[in-house]
Amino acid sequence: MSEARNNVPLFLMGGIMIIYALIVNTGVLLPLMKSIGTHKSVDLQVTMCFIVGILGILSGIVNSIRKPQNTLLDRFFLQPMAGVILLLGLAMLVRWYVEPWVIIGSKSLKSVIGFEIYKVLNLNYVVLGLLVGVIITNTVGIPKFAAAGVKTARFVLKMGVILLGARYSFAELAKLGVYSIWLVGGFVMGTVFLVLWLGNMFKQPKSMTGVLSAGMGVCGVSATVAVAPVVRAKSEEMAYTIGTILSFGIICMFVFPTVGKLVGMNPTQFGAWAGTGILNSAQVAAAALAFNAVDIATLKVAEIFNITRVLFLPIIVLVLATWFGKETGQKLNFKTVVIDKFPIFILGFLLLFLMSSMGLFSPPDHYKGKYVDFSYNDRTRITDQEWTTLNEALETGAIKGADATQMAALEDLRKQHQIAGNFDDRNNKAVFDKVGRDRMTALESILAQQKAKKIEMSKEVTGAVKHALKQVHKKSKTIVTLTDCMIWFFAFGLIGLGMQITKKAMAQAGGWPLVIGIISGVTKAVLSFFVVLWFVKEVTLK
Amino acid sequence: MSKKVDIDTGSEGKGSHQFSAQADTQEMEERALSVFSSERNEDITALVFTLITTFVVLLFTKWMV
Repeated sequence: MSEARNNVPLFLMGGIMIIYALIVNTGVLLPLMKSIGTHKSVDLQVTMCFIVGILGILSGIVNSIRKPQNTLLDRFFLQPMAGVILLLGLAMLVRWYVEPWVIIGSKSLKSVIGFEIYKVLNLNYVVLGLLVGVIITNTVGIPKFAAAGVKTARFVLKMGVILLGARYSFAELAKLGVYSIWLVGGFVMGTVFLVLWLGNMFKQPKSMTGVLSAGMGVCGVSATVAVAPVVRAKSEEMAYTIGTILSFGIICMFVFPTVGKLVGMNPTQFGAWAGTGILNSAQVAAAALAFNAVDIATLKVAEIFNITRVLFLPIIVLVLATWFGKETGQKLNFKTVVIDKFPIFILGFLLLFLMSSMGLFSPPDHYKGKYVDFSYNDRTRITDQEWTTLNEALETGAIKGADATQMAALEDLRKQHQIAGNFDDRNNKAVFDKVGRDRMTALESILAQQKAKKIEMSKEVTGAVKHALKQVHKKSKTIVTLTDCMIWFFAFGLIGLGMQITKKAMAQAGGWPLVIGIISGVTKAVLSFFVVLWFVKEVTLK
Repeated sequence: MSKKVDIDTGSEGKGSHQFSAQADTQEMEERALSVFSSERNEDITALVFTLITTFVVLLFTKWMV
């Protein structure tokens, strides 16, 4: 009987999950879900809650009728189950309710404060999950029944990091100009080594320095999450790194456009500078749009440089794994470090990166599962109605202000009913895709200039162009699903890690990470400013 | 083969555990934060689980559609 009493939380949480699944299944919550944009996940919510609820109750029954033992089933399933369900429940709360409400709240506050808080502070499920964990542990504390389950957090986080590898590919790197690869690569490696050197100078723990160097050098939050287990960073060190990156990014977001305008940078130069100097993807986009909202060149160049930086993640992980092995080991050579100390889960990350590069999940030139497909296909065409609208607009000369390239792209859209290369080149994929990509860029610039009222055309024609662009942008279902799994693993893992961050631990870490972060961030921003200003005239893209 | 010592971490944790006799406090703290008895076990299990997930996802989103 006392065993059953010990398992009350498990029965309670399992029961709540099943009741929630039943309520969602009746459709009562559908209006609420529609208002926060989570209605598409109804099936997932019902299935997940049913499975988790039933697993919880079954584990509770087994735990009640059988004494705890030291078997694999006990250690990895029965004992942690209560904590696992608690973390999963919190992850569901963050993904299905907290994150959408934060986004809606930020959007409604935009008219008052002028910007969207969730974008500036990067309040996505990663940061929110971590915050939820920190708040719980520093207020009510980790419940006793959940202690064993919380210990599964890092393991689940590692599964998320392995899946992260599926989102990138070599081909995307190869598509970028050699020039941007050298420029970004130089700054990424430079920042990583600068942070490592500063950490050494300020006598910071290796784990702190390692995780901060990845965060400052590569791409902020995801790099921090990927590298933390490699350098055995503590949860509070991770939290400090994420905090440093985001605060530095917020300052950059406002300073960069102002400086760029003051010195008269051209769109390409500013895009290259923002993409190299600012760490967070959302903040890069915000700075590029703040500098120039009309010409999409700035945003495009910034994104290209940002993607290049992100693609350095696997290389940086390798470098840091080797560095950490050498720093903590004794008189180890490179081979010993790689074989004995190299984290196996990072091999998994590289394995998925390789599989992704070979085109197992999606055409190999994808980025985060998105790719452009110009092949002749019914699903790539605009509708007959849209074609008639476009045809009439071109016949009557209703489109005003477009240049020759833009008009040629529109003429070709009329001719081929879709964005594509020249029909005669269809067997030469490289040439066909290059021409298709140029036409796509021309149509994108038409939309940007139409928005800025530099090009005059009807709403219907704008709709047709938008649809044509949407039709060639495709998404790999496999990578979308793998990314969904990754997001759940990250949400679960980060809530668990957040629960290990106490006020005491944060106080012990001190303010040094912020100092190192600011020194390295400012150095990178200033150096990249001069390099870009002097050397970047036009970005070299194939 | 290095000498090992057993430490009982209680039923709330993962039961009894083996640590290297030379293990420092940091290593013990490290293990206390995980349900696995070693970093290697944790990594290998994560890798196997992820590969199974990837296989299942490929099966239902690519190979069987």
